Amino acid sequence: MHKKLRLGELVIQLTLLLFGVLSILITAGIVLTLGEESLRFFASGEISAWKFFTAAKWQPAIGEFGILPLASATLMTSLIAMLIAAPLGLFVAVYLSEYANPRVRAVLKPILEVLAGIPTVVYGYFALTFITPLLRSVFGENVVSIYNTASAGIAIGILILPLIASMSEDALGAVPRSLKEAAFALGATKLETSLAVVVPAGISGVVAAFIVGLSRAIGETMIVALAAGAGSALTLNPFRSAETMTGYIVRISGGDLSYDTVDYNSIFAIGIVLFLITLALNIVSRRIVHRFREVYE
Amino acid sequence: MKKIAFVAVALLIAAASLLTAQSMKKGFEWVTRQSDDPMLPGVNPLKVTGNIISAGSSTVYPLSERMVERFKDEGYKGNITVDSIGTGAGFERFCVAGETDIANASRAIKSSEVDSARKIGREPLEFRIGTDALAVVVNKSNTFITNVTKEELKLIFSTARKWSDVNPVWPKQDILRFIPGTDSGTFDYFIEDIFGKKKEPILGAANLQLSEDDNVLVQGVEGSPYAVGFFGYAYFQENKDNLKVLSINAVAPSAETVNKGTYPLARPLFLYSTVKIMREKPQVAAFLAFYLTYVNQEIRSVGYFPADAEGLNKAKQNWLDAMKGAY
Amino acid sequence: MNQAGPTVFQPHIERRQKLGALWKLLFLLSTLVGIIALAALLLTVINDSFGLVALQYEVDPASLGRDGRPLERLEPDELREILTARLSSGLIRRLESEKPLAERSREQLYDLAVERVAKLQVIESWSLAQSLLSRGEIRRWLEENHPEALLKFRSWVSWRFLVQPQASLPEKAGVRTALLGSLWMILIVVVVAFPLGVGAAIYLEEYARENVFTRILQVNIYNLAGVPSIIYGILGLAVFVRLLARLTSGALFGVGDPATANGRTILSAGLTLAALVLPLIIINSQEAIRAVPQSLRYSSYALGGTKWQTIWHHVLPGSFDRILTGTILAVSRAIGETAPLVVVGASTFVTLNPTSIFSKFTTLPIQIYQWTARPQAEFRNVAAAAIIVLLVLLLAMNTAAILLRDRIGRRRREG
Repeated sequence: MHKKLRLGELVIQLTLLLFGVLSILITAGIVLTLGEESLRFFASGEISAWKFFTAAKWQPAIGEFGILPLASATLMTSLIAMLIAAPLGLFVAVYLSEYANPRVRAVLKPILEVLAGIPTVVYGYFALTFITPLLRSVFGENVVSIYNTASAGIAIGILILPLIASMSEDALGAVPRSLKEAAFALGATKLETSLAVVVPAGISGVVAAFIVGLSRAIGETMIVALAAGAGSALTLNPFRSAETMTGYIVRISGGDLSYDTVDYNSIFAIGIVLFLITLALNIVSRRIVHRFREVYE
Repeated sequence: MKKIAFVAVALLIAAASLLTAQSMKKGFEWVTRQSDDPMLPGVNPLKVTGNIISAGSSTVYPLSERMVERFKDEGYKGNITVDSIGTGAGFERFCVAGETDIANASRAIKSSEVDSARKIGREPLEFRIGTDALAVVVNKSNTFITNVTKEELKLIFSTARKWSDVNPVWPKQDILRFIPGTDSGTFDYFIEDIFGKKKEPILGAANLQLSEDDNVLVQGVEGSPYAVGFFGYAYFQENKDNLKVLSINAVAPSAETVNKGTYPLARPLFLYSTVKIMREKPQVAAFLAFYLTYVNQEIRSVGYFPADAEGLNKAKQNWLDAMKGAY
Repeated sequence: MNQAGPTVFQPHIERRQKLGALWKLLFLLSTLVGIIALAALLLTVINDSFGLVALQYEVDPASLGRDGRPLERLEPDELREILTARLSSGLIRRLESEKPLAERSREQLYDLAVERVAKLQVIESWSLAQSLLSRGEIRRWLEENHPEALLKFRSWVSWRFLVQPQASLPEKAGVRTALLGSLWMILIVVVVAFPLGVGAAIYLEEYARENVFTRILQVNIYNLAGVPSIIYGILGLAVFVRLLARLTSGALFGVGDPATANGRTILSAGLTLAALVLPLIIINSQEAIRAVPQSLRYSSYALGGTKWQTIWHHVLPGSFDRILTGTILAVSRAIGETAPLVVVGASTFVTLNPTSIFSKFTTLPIQIYQWTARPQAEFRNVAAAAIIVLLVLLLAMNTAAILLRDRIGRRRREG
């Protein structure tokens, strides 16, 4: 018996295929847009790729195109965020999956979801009106400037904490009970089981969670736009202001620029660097999950 | 007999309405004979229809915002958008992209911008609407400085690292600088006046933060006793409690010094449109007439200073020349 | 059981248990940090949304009285006189066109005089904490500095706040245009991204075969889900605002202003955000469809159903609750997005409600961003109030999502 060709079915199938292909179009759009303008940027002769990545000053209006200050600011805010969110997120995940009873879980999980759902601009507001004054009163007004990367970093950390926590908790929860019970049978305490058996067993998911959190922190825009300041500076002091890559893009596009001015094209150059970094991180995280995932039975 | 009278009256009414209809061309129903201005026709915002799009200087923004609010308050029901994106960006939208009806500017239009506008069929028409006294501000708790010379200003915003580098009497603390972004007319004006159009010294300075949003600059200066910044006077006036304005060459900014022309950093504020836009979109002409008529009533409370009579009259004359015969 | 060599096993039970208790405390504290952060955030917002304000008249009403009679006791004619003398002719003209002054009651005229001539203004505001704890201090400070001022408790979130458009004075500002802009945008996002997303998910789960092409498609979607939102903003700027300007500005359809049409419209914003949430909807819908048991499909085929009939009548209804929940969550994400819209070009000052998808726009998060950036203390208050509106909106959507999911799920199980 051969399959009867139904026209209606075929049309539907093709339509849905088109919908799926749309996602490729979006990626193509992103790559083409960023790529083309970046090429124009590098081809204009004003900037060499080498200087772009190594020069230490970013001031497009006078022809200085070193991405280092912006990149270092991005790195600092993301690092501060991860310092807070990674250990805390993991501990919350351990607590939720190993220690908490169902009632506590029923309360805590929604709270985490609420935290994750709060828009980033609200976190930016929080950083500017609460965290910065707090830091200034603790460390002194002369030490902490009104726009600083520490405040933004802390806010980003709180933002990605639920993300890391819930992804890690999924990973830890997937570890079969038999492993835990075997550890108990050998006389391990709950702590030892969690740290020596469960976490290593789910480590691929945990590491993936960390990387996804990092990627999210790097791409974060509004918090740094509000709290980290608008002056690009190569500094390791978290209490000073420093503009990140995303903050720069938002500041420049908040104005409006001609095609082909050097400022406009620089957005795309920064954009493509940002895109490639987050893409690489996401690919790596999925690779890790795939490669190191423990397969049980 | 009655019938003839009836027809006569009807004809009379028809003729009268035809005549009045002729005298008020379509789109210009807002023109009123009674006017609050000796040169311009009166404007009735209740009868203005259609939308208006404007964008440009963040300095002019509070003034335009106030005039728009008054325009709406007195009856305008259409849609006006005002975007605060910087003078340069405003001219970009006006002269290159052709997206706006009115460009707000805190400096005069450049010849390159005029050329771009001509390429898209626009001939910019200038309207002087006021004067700003560029305010150089420091934190209120700054006790060591009340007056600067232009030379000192040059050093403060370029090569000096600490305050003591400019004047050894001042503290040995880093200068924290907050300046308008490169798209800002305020930036252009400062560069032209203090640095002779060279951007490198100021943009190469240490501890520099730029923003097209003057509110960000205000917050920055409010944040440290060693901060310094500059922006339109309105932003200083609105935040007087936390900021201190400096005198330049011993002249403090005020209504008198601006009027007399003795304040060194007084600069004109403009709106730009074109004859074609004003005639094709009468609501733009209406808004401009309204603006020019009432701006001096509102400008002081916004925080700027009236344009000199000559400048404002020239703007009004430009309006009249543009709209000759249109209504 | 052998004894392994010279090492003797030391149980150290007590120490291990103490260590366990210590770490358990650490884990608990970590969780508490999250809760404390959330509480701090909400409290900060609430703190700035309510509080005492000092109100003062710009023109003292007492000075408007006549012959020893205060403003409240003046006759309507006298009130009309004051109004025509003090207000601009244009304003009088507009008030007349709405309702002639001669027809207004004494109370209405008095209200007008107070609002327009005396002009009550906020000169100082305090946070909720300050209002509750240092009331006496505030009162004393007020007596010293502004003896004529009134002290009143004010909620910055109010019905008036919801229906007023943006204004330059914080006490008059409202979120009407921003709220409507956000709602319009959600509409576009749902209309565009929902069918496309669910359709793509159906294709990937039901039709696609295991080959390189499908894998590329799948990987691509996962990657897109992780792209920072600002990149989508850049994409939107380049494609929807600039490249497709004729489409998004309405020029193609003859709508909008030919002189100043540009692509910075609600349509562009909606399309940009639709692109952003599309991968999320696809991934979520895929998981929902995958969760439908195969037995359901096989029984449909066994009864002679075609593939599409199976999908439409069995798979989709079976996964609809999850798909809906996921879509609503993705849309919640879209409501809160700011960065892509700043790039695409939300307007700074828009006071008229959006009338079509080709209108200029502003949204709630953009409004919050602009107000937060302003240094005046009163703008903190309105920013906080706007945040409350946004959070309530999100809460409503998420609650609706959960309720819908439960209801549809229950109905499916029963029916």
